[in-house]
Amino acid sequence: MTEAKISSESSTVRVERLSFRYPGGPDVLTDISFTIAPGEIIGLVGPSGAGKSTLLQHLNGLLPSQLPNEVGHVSNVSHVVIDNLPVARQTIAEVRRRVGFLFQDPDDQLFCPTVFEDVAFGPLNLGLSEDEARQRVRDSLTSVGLAGYEPRSTLRLSLGERKRVCLAGVFACQPSVLALDEPFSSLDPRARRTLIGILKKFPGSQIIATHDLDVVVDLCHRVLLLDAGQLRAAGPTADILGNAALMERHGLEVPWRLRREN
Amino acid sequence: MCHRWPPLAKLLSAIAMILAATCVPVAHPLIGIVTCGIFFAHTLARIPLAYVARRLLFFWPPLFLMAISLPLSQAGQKGWLLFVTIVVRGTLSFSTALWLVNVMPFDQLLATLRRLRIPDVLLAILSLMYRFLFVLWDELDRMRTARAARLFRKPSLWATWRSAAHLVGRLLIRALDRADRIHGAMLARGWDGRSRWIEQPREDRP
Repeated sequence: MTEAKISSESSTVRVERLSFRYPGGPDVLTDISFTIAPGEIIGLVGPSGAGKSTLLQHLNGLLPSQLPNEVGHVSNVSHVVIDNLPVARQTIAEVRRRVGFLFQDPDDQLFCPTVFEDVAFGPLNLGLSEDEARQRVRDSLTSVGLAGYEPRSTLRLSLGERKRVCLAGVFACQPSVLALDEPFSSLDPRARRTLIGILKKFPGSQIIATHDLDVVVDLCHRVLLLDAGQLRAAGPTADILGNAALMERHGLEVPWRLRREN
Repeated sequence: MCHRWPPLAKLLSAIAMILAATCVPVAHPLIGIVTCGIFFAHTLARIPLAYVARRLLFFWPPLFLMAISLPLSQAGQKGWLLFVTIVVRGTLSFSTALWLVNVMPFDQLLATLRRLRIPDVLLAILSLMYRFLFVLWDELDRMRTARAARLFRKPSLWATWRSAAHLVGRLLIRALDRADRIHGAMLARGWDGRSRWIEQPREDRP
């Protein structure tokens, strides 16, 4: 497998006092603040319904009703800054180019009939020329180990392959941050290993929402623990995931690899 | 052998066959030649007659229902002539469409339609429909299996209809949720409402 260039940069993500609720609903996120440094890999853990997906969706403004109208407009909602760009209507195109988003269900993300068209979707929307777009498709498919998959139908792929094609579609936009929503769910061990290998090579920053705590131990520098919409703990992976009392309190388990022998 | 024709040739012959089937009056002897032509095309493409017949069985009931209103509303021979016209034209057009989807992979059909400058919105609808029909079908299948797993005796007809209605309702809600997520996924990759498209390089094709 040749190494292909999938990203040249890495970004800082700053979330400041972010709160969110769906119209008419209870608070989903309350007063969340954290920073991701360039190249850092963050694990976002917490029980189901803690608000992990909602938090990720804020990183590239996928909840459009919450976008403030002007850059710097004082508002009580959007407080996400990518590098120096606050997520707002005017910056949304650039923000989305920098933040690559991997959805939990690959069927939501693979909406074109063939792999080629799907991976080319992002580059073409970025306004790249045909040749550049083709090159990007080739490079990003190579980087996820699926070179030559261009003519395949998106219907006839295994789950692991579909996830990797999704990731290729994200890589093709050359993001500097990856936001991954449950990337390892329902994958068999080999597909999971492959995906971990791909993510390890990605040079930009990453935030990974997952229940797979062993992967977090393997991959992440720091962990954010989210429960009931609030950030309950943040710190180096071993400190958070190894803290039995804390994990127990939030319905999680200390992963095997961090359990101390009695 | 029709499978090897250039895509444009396949599409144009299908359109020509449909045009012929719908323009020739049913009473005219030419309609026999058109019918023979269409079924000859099926033979060339080695599409089994049983396959076409099975699909026609699904197609005919609604067609008959629609056509039967004509002899009921128009007295005498004219009504029946219209009835036969609709049934014959419907059947021939449907068979032609079957032929086309069998000799042409769907992405090739889309690419050819695009070359003919069919509006992007229509193509996007077709493409998304084709893509997610299977996903929805799988979802329906799973829901049906889940229902069957908990059905311990044969339900009454009323109960069957009731649960079918629930199933359809649930499927609709799931489809709407999915549509939302797909929209999000498109926005996340920079979609701004315009379709952009390049042709897949030839040498990449299977």
